[in-house]
Amino acid sequence: MKINFRLLAMNLSNFSPRNYVLLVATFFCFIQNSQQLYEDQIGKFDWKHNFVGKVKYAYFDGTAGDRIIVATEQNVLAALSVRTGDILWRKIMEKDIRGTIQYLHVTQSDKNELTRPGEYNDYDIITISGTSPAMVRGWNPNTGNIIWEWSLTPNTQANAENSLWIFRDLVLYHIVPVYGSHIEVTGYYAKTGHHVKSTTTRVSAPWIVQGKCIVVAPYFVCTIGSQLVAVNLLAENSVLVAKDFDRDISGSDLKLLKGVEATVIVGNEAYTLHSDKITLRSNVDSFNFNLKINNENILIAGSLQEDKSIRISSKYLDSGEAYNDLYLVAHFPETLGSPQILDVQCKSKGSGPVACRMLLSSDNAAVILMQQGKIKWVREEALASIVAVEMIDLPLADFEGSIQSELQNKDGDIFGTLLRRISNQILQLRNMILTVIGLDGHRPDQTNDVDLTRDAFGLHKMIVAVTEHGKIFGIDNISGKYYWIKHLPNFKGFNEHQSLKIFVQRTSRHFPNPPMCVVIGRNKINGNGILYQFNPISGQPINGGITTLNYKIQQMTLLHDTESDFLKAILILDHENKVHVIPEKAAKLAHKMYLYTADKTRGTLSGYLVEYSNQQLDAVPIWEVHLGGAGNIQKITNIAMKSAIEHVHSQGRVLNDRSVLYKYINPNLVAVATQGPDSIHKYVLNVHLIDVVSGAVVTSLTHRRAKGPIHMVHSENWLVYSYYNDKVRRTEMTSVELYEGKSQANSTIWSSLDAPQLPMVEKQSYIIPANVVSLKETITEKGITNKHVLIGLSTGGVIEMPWVLLDPRRPILLPNQGREEGVIPYIPELPLPSENVINYNQSVAAIKDFFVTRIAPSKSFDLLKEDFDYILITVVLAALTISSCVAKHLSSRKTIKQAWK
Amino acid sequence: MKTLAEDKKFKWSLKLLASLRDKSSESATSSPPGYNPSIHGVVETEAINKNSEQTHLIIKKSWDIAIGPLKQIPMNLLLMYMSGSTISIFPIMMIAMMLMKPLSAITTTHATFKTFEQAGTGTVGQKIVFVLGHIACVGLALYKCHSMGLLPTHASDWLAFAEPQTRSEYSGGGLVLL
Repeated sequence: MKINFRLLAMNLSNFSPRNYVLLVATFFCFIQNSQQLYEDQIGKFDWKHNFVGKVKYAYFDGTAGDRIIVATEQNVLAALSVRTGDILWRKIMEKDIRGTIQYLHVTQSDKNELTRPGEYNDYDIITISGTSPAMVRGWNPNTGNIIWEWSLTPNTQANAENSLWIFRDLVLYHIVPVYGSHIEVTGYYAKTGHHVKSTTTRVSAPWIVQGKCIVVAPYFVCTIGSQLVAVNLLAENSVLVAKDFDRDISGSDLKLLKGVEATVIVGNEAYTLHSDKITLRSNVDSFNFNLKINNENILIAGSLQEDKSIRISSKYLDSGEAYNDLYLVAHFPETLGSPQILDVQCKSKGSGPVACRMLLSSDNAAVILMQQGKIKWVREEALASIVAVEMIDLPLADFEGSIQSELQNKDGDIFGTLLRRISNQILQLRNMILTVIGLDGHRPDQTNDVDLTRDAFGLHKMIVAVTEHGKIFGIDNISGKYYWIKHLPNFKGFNEHQSLKIFVQRTSRHFPNPPMCVVIGRNKINGNGILYQFNPISGQPINGGITTLNYKIQQMTLLHDTESDFLKAILILDHENKVHVIPEKAAKLAHKMYLYTADKTRGTLSGYLVEYSNQQLDAVPIWEVHLGGAGNIQKITNIAMKSAIEHVHSQGRVLNDRSVLYKYINPNLVAVATQGPDSIHKYVLNVHLIDVVSGAVVTSLTHRRAKGPIHMVHSENWLVYSYYNDKVRRTEMTSVELYEGKSQANSTIWSSLDAPQLPMVEKQSYIIPANVVSLKETITEKGITNKHVLIGLSTGGVIEMPWVLLDPRRPILLPNQGREEGVIPYIPELPLPSENVINYNQSVAAIKDFFVTRIAPSKSFDLLKEDFDYILITVVLAALTISSCVAKHLSSRKTIKQAWK
Repeated sequence: MKTLAEDKKFKWSLKLLASLRDKSSESATSSPPGYNPSIHGVVETEAINKNSEQTHLIIKKSWDIAIGPLKQIPMNLLLMYMSGSTISIFPIMMIAMMLMKPLSAITTTHATFKTFEQAGTGTVGQKIVFVLGHIACVGLALYKCHSMGLLPTHASDWLAFAEPQTRSEYSGGGLVLL
């Protein structure tokens, strides 16, 4: 994931899952010209973390070097350093299903007896990605260069999705199980893709059932009823072997025991497959691995202990006796989740005990290397799949906070106020003196929290990143350090690929109340709502942390009004259209709140009015809009709301005759994109702007022969979206602006129920010569800066596009009279100058990396450069002062002497 | 040289006879050189004539001052035309002068005409004209400001002070999460 930001505060909670990528924090008073970066500023206010994603397959590279080759769920093939966990090289495959890595083979050295025997070739890594076509590639493990590649297009699409692969003796076997019928096995020479045999071998296997079978090279194994059945796919005359159980095992997990032998785990027992029988080997633990040490089959098994530690033990697979060289108990933080062993590498020094490295991967995507009985490094790969981000202001320092509370305190008698003020200022003075003379060392929390106070411009923030795996990170936006990590094992995202949601219930401004965020998701166990409330600065849970709900969440929002504790309550609409408010005491604040829900497949939007009466909350349906068209062919694909924290400073736009065109700033306006097939135009894309309070459709736009992926930004009085124009085969961006006209119907209050007549709609389309993968606008606290649109490109660049270039009022013909200020003539192509790439050469590959920087859309003002030489200026000033004193003294002496002459 | 000599001669010649002839009969002795016996007589006999002439002059002078600002108008018009309507330091300074000078002059109207009042002449009309003239100057300066676009006379000039509208309804929601 690439995340980049320079934003003050960006609310990404409305981001579609693909877009979580770009966060940019923008400040209006910022350091340098936003458009350029000097060479010496590289890395000064940006940083980037690279990720590979949740590891799917991993092997220690046995041939040379201290390398780990990993293939991940994010379609990445990479080499990690064993010593540090750093990425040595990384290759990113095609997006989505086309690049899903199906198989990874890494040649193991056969020189070292301690590792598994294997084959050695002139290529060492083979990957197979995608299914239709499947791309087979050979890689050089030193450089990451691709050596060869061939593709395989299967005959039947449906079966190809179940493809499995075995690599043995330079030959790749492509296994296609046709469930309920047979298994097709085709051999290819790995390097060339030529058939080994002219025909495909068909192994008749009517007993195979989808979901109950795995491949354990060279066997195909299934649990059928009370039997474990296996067939050797590579044997000339394959014989079925089976083992009977005294119970029905088709319900129990069938897992591969990673390692050297063809062994499977059924329940908690390991069974080795032989050509003629299946033998029970040993009981297993919660995670297991099998390897050969000195020609002995060793089973490594481990489990997590209750005291936040991990215990790994080993035994001989054959005899079940303990193997004492490999036993360890190590501290294992609970944020790492429950691990699996990916690979083990052992070395014996002479006759001494073997030393092993173990590579573990946890269910929340952490990659852990254990060596010498402890964790050597951890890679937090969960950050490769961030789904929501909030940037939180840091709290004020203690004494500043007390002054803040003093200023907010309106009650109390005059003497009490005076006393408090004086005591606060004495405290402040004391702090200042202590800081100056360097005695400020006695603050108990200095080690950790001393940095976590607000700086002069409020640029230092805490990034709260919620990841797909239910892991939350508190990250410093200046240093990139992880201040806290929290793992929520029971949380999962919502339906229809909707991710976990995060809301800021209380910001850092309400000292002494702590800031508070909430993460809302579904309970993995029963699908009911579950939420976790925490302090985003310290990461500590608030109100006990996790709250489980006994209903499913249909939709939710934050209330606007707060009680005296400044906490914004959460309003939840459950699956039975009942309304709940958390905490319950804030229920009356939900009165007259409007809520809408959008049904993707039916293409409908429904509006509800929440009413509070007789201590009860009710959601009254008030409108419904059907956008599905005839036969419901149009499906809702995107919804773009305005940021809840947005302020619009400028209420209008000055025309060239110096009159004002007032903006139509409707905070309840939502942009809804629907897509569907069309008999004439192939596809039709519609964008509707709907007021979700009144249900009024403000305007609709239609694009024929245009299709997704759609990315939208909705802010102030404008909407920008990108789509693919199939007719001319290019990506286009359309911008729409709404204006009330030259007068405002009501300049003080906005009411959607008494909204002005249909607004003026300005629209324009532009060609963007790149692929857009995400869009986001910059946002500043008071909204006084210009708006820029940040565009994440498939090339890994993040472009900062000034709004003037996207302005729909750019004139096509030059008007006779003077032009409007700041409006440039229309040119269809949007320029993408490389100076506007805010991450310069720090490409955020396939949006898997995490890049943070800051931008200043309206330039910075009145700030010293960050490399300003304070020492030099101080020395020069001091020297000048001293020399002028000395010179004054000397000159007065000279005058006196002269006077005596 | 000759002219110089004649001038000198003329300058220093004494007309004793003439002074004797005009002299009153009080004394037979001739007056000392430089004595002008006519001074007394002139003051006394022509006092009234002289007063009315002076008043006339004073009124004339005061009207001159009163009309002064009006006389500047053509000059100001020329200056305004010459300075153009670009916003730069010189036109701005000029306009500032054009505005400040008349305004300060208006505030000191009373002082300006004080001497004339002491002379006993009525100055109400002059004051009115004086003030009107300066107001005309101010008007010119304002017109110049206007033509340069410096006056906040359009809605756009007040846009920055426009408060955002307050919301009367709040809404939220999104795709069904079930």
